[in-house]
Amino acid sequence: MNFRKFVWLNYWLILGVFFTLASVAGAQNPSSKKRGYFVSRNNKVVLSQSAAVDSGKTESELKSELAKELGVETAKKTSESETTTQQTSAARSDLFQNMNPNISVIGTVLGSANTMAALDRNVDLSFQEGEFSFQAAVDPYAKADFYIAFGKHGESELVPGHDDENDDEHGEGGLEPELEEAYITFLSLPLSTQLKVGKFRGKFGKINETHPHAYNFIDVPLVYSNFLGPEGLNDEGVGLSWLLPNTVFFQELTFQVTSGPAENMSFARAEGNRLLYLAHLKNFFDLNENTTLELGISGLTGPNNAAGDVTNMFAADLTLKWKPLRNRNRSFELLSEFLLSERSEPGNDINSFGFFSHLRYQFANRWFVGGLFDYSEFPEFSEFNHKAYSGILQFFATEFQKVEFHYKYNDGSFFDNFSEFKIRAVFVIGAHGAHQY
Amino acid sequence: MKKKLTGRIIPVLVVLIALPAPAREKLKVVTTLPDLSYIAQQIGGDKVETFAIAKGYQDPHFVDAKPSFVLKLKRADVFVQIGLDLEIGWVRPLLETARSSKIYFGGKGYVDASSGINLLEVPSGDAAQLRAKGDIHVFGNPHYWLDPRNGKGVAQNILAKFVALSPNAAAYFQKNYDNFVAKIDSAYAGWKEKMQPYAGAKIVAYHNSWPYFEKAFNLDIVAFIEPKPGIPPTPSHLVSVIKKINQENIKVIIISPYFDDKPAKSIAKRTGATVVKIAPSVQAWPNLKTYFDLFDFNLTKIITALE
Repeated sequence: MNFRKFVWLNYWLILGVFFTLASVAGAQNPSSKKRGYFVSRNNKVVLSQSAAVDSGKTESELKSELAKELGVETAKKTSESETTTQQTSAARSDLFQNMNPNISVIGTVLGSANTMAALDRNVDLSFQEGEFSFQAAVDPYAKADFYIAFGKHGESELVPGHDDENDDEHGEGGLEPELEEAYITFLSLPLSTQLKVGKFRGKFGKINETHPHAYNFIDVPLVYSNFLGPEGLNDEGVGLSWLLPNTVFFQELTFQVTSGPAENMSFARAEGNRLLYLAHLKNFFDLNENTTLELGISGLTGPNNAAGDVTNMFAADLTLKWKPLRNRNRSFELLSEFLLSERSEPGNDINSFGFFSHLRYQFANRWFVGGLFDYSEFPEFSEFNHKAYSGILQFFATEFQKVEFHYKYNDGSFFDNFSEFKIRAVFVIGAHGAHQY
Repeated sequence: MKKKLTGRIIPVLVVLIALPAPAREKLKVVTTLPDLSYIAQQIGGDKVETFAIAKGYQDPHFVDAKPSFVLKLKRADVFVQIGLDLEIGWVRPLLETARSSKIYFGGKGYVDASSGINLLEVPSGDAAQLRAKGDIHVFGNPHYWLDPRNGKGVAQNILAKFVALSPNAAAYFQKNYDNFVAKIDSAYAGWKEKMQPYAGAKIVAYHNSWPYFEKAFNLDIVAFIEPKPGIPPTPSHLVSVIKKINQENIKVIIISPYFDDKPAKSIAKRTGATVVKIAPSVQAWPNLKTYFDLFDFNLTKIITALE
């Protein structure tokens, strides 16, 4: 037997064993017992389809009439065979009753185009990020959260004096794994406090704590990417949050002490043995059963070089939401954040400012339209600024996937104005996470 | 002068100390749905005070985890939820923010009202394919409070917690529980009798939230306006529902008030079936104050439409 024959023989052998195993497994699969039930139900549906619908109207006429009436597109036909609902009564399933943490995987795909004359390449498609999250109770005292992302990190930025050529290296690189967040939270310590230890997104402003794929816009607001980097403030340390004994409205005060971000235009990690200190006060009011208002203030201070210089940052955030309890098809949201950076340098202080304002209106069950205005100076160069005007459209197919379009017109003091078009798809499988509020 | 002041201060202090005392005896109960609050109030009587987070006219899956609810939860002695995964999107963030180990999952005051309930539509098969069937609940259909007999199971879970937390009032709670169960039994017998002439009546529902109701009152839900749970209706699906209604001469389409009734109305216009808005929970409308009102109202509306 020559070597080639030997390989082929093995190949067929393995294939044979595989199919035998597969057929045995198929026969044992409990779902196959159900098939009879589905088929009988299907037959009913199929049979009924052949009958006449409405006197004098063809099926397609009726369909388009209904589509017009409901204002929906004649969607692709959903397979009728899947419309049956299981009516089985059984003991509680043990499907999810194992000791694994809640696991989910989130995929983000991005398509982009721009009108920047200086670039060689103006269109791009990329798999932005695959994020794995694991969450579970550690014991009766604590819970733990892990987020591991495989993504393209260090997106190109428009910063005065920044060398564009370096950006391409990032853009064309592969997907690098990164431990995005990993922390333990002690949920109920004395005096209504909570302690968080690990690596986490800092509680600065409103959106910094949220993962960017959950934003209702594709581009991170300019003031955030310019002041804190495209990935926001995210580093290692401890945080203590205290629920104030205010019985009239919700107030939460948070202190975080962290080592400082590794690479950042505003801060330098642990330079001169100094750490980064953050404080945030969140105030939340119910204006009525449909409307809420959140006001937050944040302060952040840390070293920006080895010489003992410091950057102080302040932020104020305002979120107004109108979400009628009786109507899930309409809602409105206004989110504005203002950031101020005070950077001391040898013989010089630089004060810079930036803000963004986002409006979002839900006009149908699954559709949202939004607008975003951005203005930002730069922590190291307050004489330059970057403005942007954006229009956003979002479609949430279900709770588990969305598609978004973002058009952005960039107007800056150090570059020629240009437009950007982005489309992003975000989808999640696995454990059902908490809804955003 | 000094005497006068102390003379005034002492009565004030006495009043201040005395005031919170009786209030403290009451167990503070926070529930997710108003149905649970109603039942908890029946068992607890004047020894508890209740608050429901969701309104009866709200979709219980999409309640927002507003931090303001945390103020109620922080002071609560007992927290009751429907469980399974009905409130999965909002209960966890609320309990985490409340910083109270008493009512946190598995805490002394935490009640999962679904414990011991016989569940319907528990999915089997490949878990990873469940969402292809729409927003399927992995542990079984969670709308079990819509069978009044399950109200007794809920009451029992709440009773056990109240007794454990206030053993001195055990006899009082037990008596209230017995009364509630007797009331349910007699009301259910009455409802069954009322529904007797309509046994097996075929109806259409918007969303799959009524299997327990269907079973309790011997109705037959033959189609849903949603092609799959949580997926908005498509014209082609509506066509198949219209055919079914015409063929089987179905007279009633039931829908919860928080869903868009346009597709149901479009179907009604073409079939002669009546769209009936029925209550998914206590307080869905202001006059539905009790768990009993809920079933009285729903059955009366369905019977009227069937006739």
